[in-house]
Amino acid sequence: MNARSRAVIEALIPQGGQPPLPGAFESGFDDFYARFQNTALPSMRLGFRAALWAAAWLSPLLIGRVPPLSRLSSEDRERALEAMGASRSYHVRQLLLLLKAVISFHYGAHPAVRRALEFPS
Amino acid sequence: MRVDGSKASAFDEAFDYVIVGSGAAGATAARVLADTGRSVAVLEEGPAVDPKEFSTEVFPSFQRMFRGQGGQVARGRAFIPVVQGRCLGGSTVINSAIVWRLPDDVWEPWKTEYGLGDALPLSELHKHWDLIEKELSIAETPPQVWGEFNRLMDVAKTNLRVSAAPIRRNVRDCRASARCLTGCPTSAKQSMLVTYLPYAEKKGAALLTCAKAEEIRWDGDRATAVSGTFEAPGRPRFTARARKAVLVAASAIQTPGLLARSGVDSPHLGEHFQAHPGCALMGIFPNKVGMWRGATQGYDADHHRRLGRFKIETIALPPEIVFARLPGAGKRWMRAMLETPYAAIWAVQMRAWAQGSVRERFFGTDIKFDLTPRDLVQMRRGLRFTAELFFAAGAKEVWPGIHGLPERIKPGEEWLLETAPADSRAYSMILSHLFGTARMSVRAADGVVGTDFAVHATRNLFVVDSSLFPTNTSVNPQHTIMGVAMHAANRISEAKL
Ligand SMILES: Cc1cc2nc3c(=O)[nH]c(=O)nc-3n(C[C@H](O)[C@H](O)[C@H](O)COP(=O)(O)OP(=O)(O)OC[C@H]3O[C@@H](n4cnc5c(N)ncnc54)[C@H](O)[C@@H]3O)c2cc1C
Ligand code: SF4
Repeated sequence: MNARSRAVIEALIPQGGQPPLPGAFESGFDDFYARFQNTALPSMRLGFRAALWAAAWLSPLLIGRVPPLSRLSSEDRERALEAMGASRSYHVRQLLLLLKAVISFHYGAHPAVRRALEFPS
Repeated sequence: MRVDGSKASAFDEAFDYVIVGSGAAGATAARVLADTGRSVAVLEEGPAVDPKEFSTEVFPSFQRMFRGQGGQVARGRAFIPVVQGRCLGGSTVINSAIVWRLPDDVWEPWKTEYGLGDALPLSELHKHWDLIEKELSIAETPPQVWGEFNRLMDVAKTNLRVSAAPIRRNVRDCRASARCLTGCPTSAKQSMLVTYLPYAEKKGAALLTCAKAEEIRWDGDRATAVSGTFEAPGRPRFTARARKAVLVAASAIQTPGLLARSGVDSPHLGEHFQAHPGCALMGIFPNKVGMWRGATQGYDADHHRRLGRFKIETIALPPEIVFARLPGAGKRWMRAMLETPYAAIWAVQMRAWAQGSVRERFFGTDIKFDLTPRDLVQMRRGLRFTAELFFAAGAKEVWPGIHGLPERIKPGEEWLLETAPADSRAYSMILSHLFGTARMSVRAADGVVGTDFAVHATRNLFVVDSSLFPTNTSVNPQHTIMGVAMHAANRISEAKL
């Protein structure tokens, strides 16, 4: 995963964002991503890449900033991604949903996250 | 006998009956036909997954047991996920075990408008449901396994005085683990994987897994075999020859494709696709709810089922699925995650008027489905009613997750839900109750399947799943599907073939 895509993931689930929840990379997103790349259907992989691309290059434009997302401050990164979710364009909203869905596959299953939610072990 | 197509080599054997699909319909047909002493083969595209291997994690479960790894969608104005099992036992392995008999008011037009009263006699269906209910330990969800998210709907029922009740489920000693979606780890859920399929196998039926049926072979108007490929390296071919009949029970999404690939030609094939779109709201309560303890779907409100065409159901979803729909990004998204212990999810399940289509294309199955304006009106009423139930149960907020509405709605603001956009793209919906794509008709000109369950103009190719239903059912369909499949299999076993 390149630096621009990492910035997107980090912006969605930042380290120290909301203790006791871990950050995305702190919780091992890299391993999940490798598994996803190896085993997910091509259509899903393609969709996820498109979503990462849109978050990196289009979302800053929605708040009047110059892309890519990785150049923005952490507050602006969050604002840009939130703007995707509030966009009038259905497709833009769907791309953010896809990003969140794939990240959630990893994050929602993580033991530390589940512990924080009192999910029965 | 089991044949694991992930390891098997080429296969060619003859059986009296060959059944395609091992879900609610196929397994029930196998259970009946195995009792006749004739030989039966069940072909299942997905793998046999041992309940001990069921995971609490969604991603590996989707990959192993769900069609398209959980990514199958219907295209229309909006993309709507179409969720189905693809494993031995079909969708019954991943469903919530809700059991409803087909209501009289739904059956009545099957008789009067479609002329199917004799083909699908309600009195016979009730006898089959009696038997199934005994065999699958069907009973009302007891308060001991409700958990808080189901109990709260009981509170709403009392406070609002609406028609609602604990759900009847096919479970034995449910442990309230709220894990039905990823497979029941204790086999409490009486899915086809642990009930009718082992029963049929014990009586001699062959279960072929990782075995995708690709084509039905013919001799004139007689179906003589089903051929396809195993999943093993090199994709070895299999042929299951049918001495008496082929029964197709591959679901309302896959059945029309198999029939079309096999030369069945009807303008109705793949048309009239109907469903019950589901759309959920989240209620946030002042005290912890703990969505992950309780019977996955243990309570429903049928108050508006008949006239309003919707029913409200409680549902527990794994964190992975819940998170994706929470509002925000970054810290705000994470904060919302930390609120989920206080959340309950209740969903509208709507009997849509919409009719879509299912077609085989070179890139796969193409599902088209769009809600009608009338459906959207009903959906919004259903969502408003859901919010009313939440507040009557003591919720402090409702999170609609609908584009164009506030992220959080307070008591007294339920009416806002009826002002939500009249555009399906504003909502997150799913389809998991699927019907109508090879509908039964008295005349060949009006449908695909005749009143004897045989595809029109064929002698022994039968359809026994919900593809043949003339309409959606307004209630959770597995019980109707099993009752109809049992009735069909009885008739087929008595037919001179
Ligand atoms: C998540 C979820 C929850 C649900 N909850 C409930 C509930 O609580 N109560 C209820 O009443 N209903 C519920 N349903 C719906 C219910 O499970 C289905 O309506 C029912 O199982 C459909 O039965 P079926 O036999 O037509 O199809 P399925 O049960 O889906 O079985 C069809 C089988 O055929 C196989 N198949 C398809 N094509 C081929 C091929 N070419 N070759 C070989 N095999 C093939 C598939 O892999 C599949 O295993 C739920 C569905 C889902 C997805
Ligand atoms: S709630 Fe848990 S124990 Fe009960 S049937 Fe579902 S998965 Fe099995």
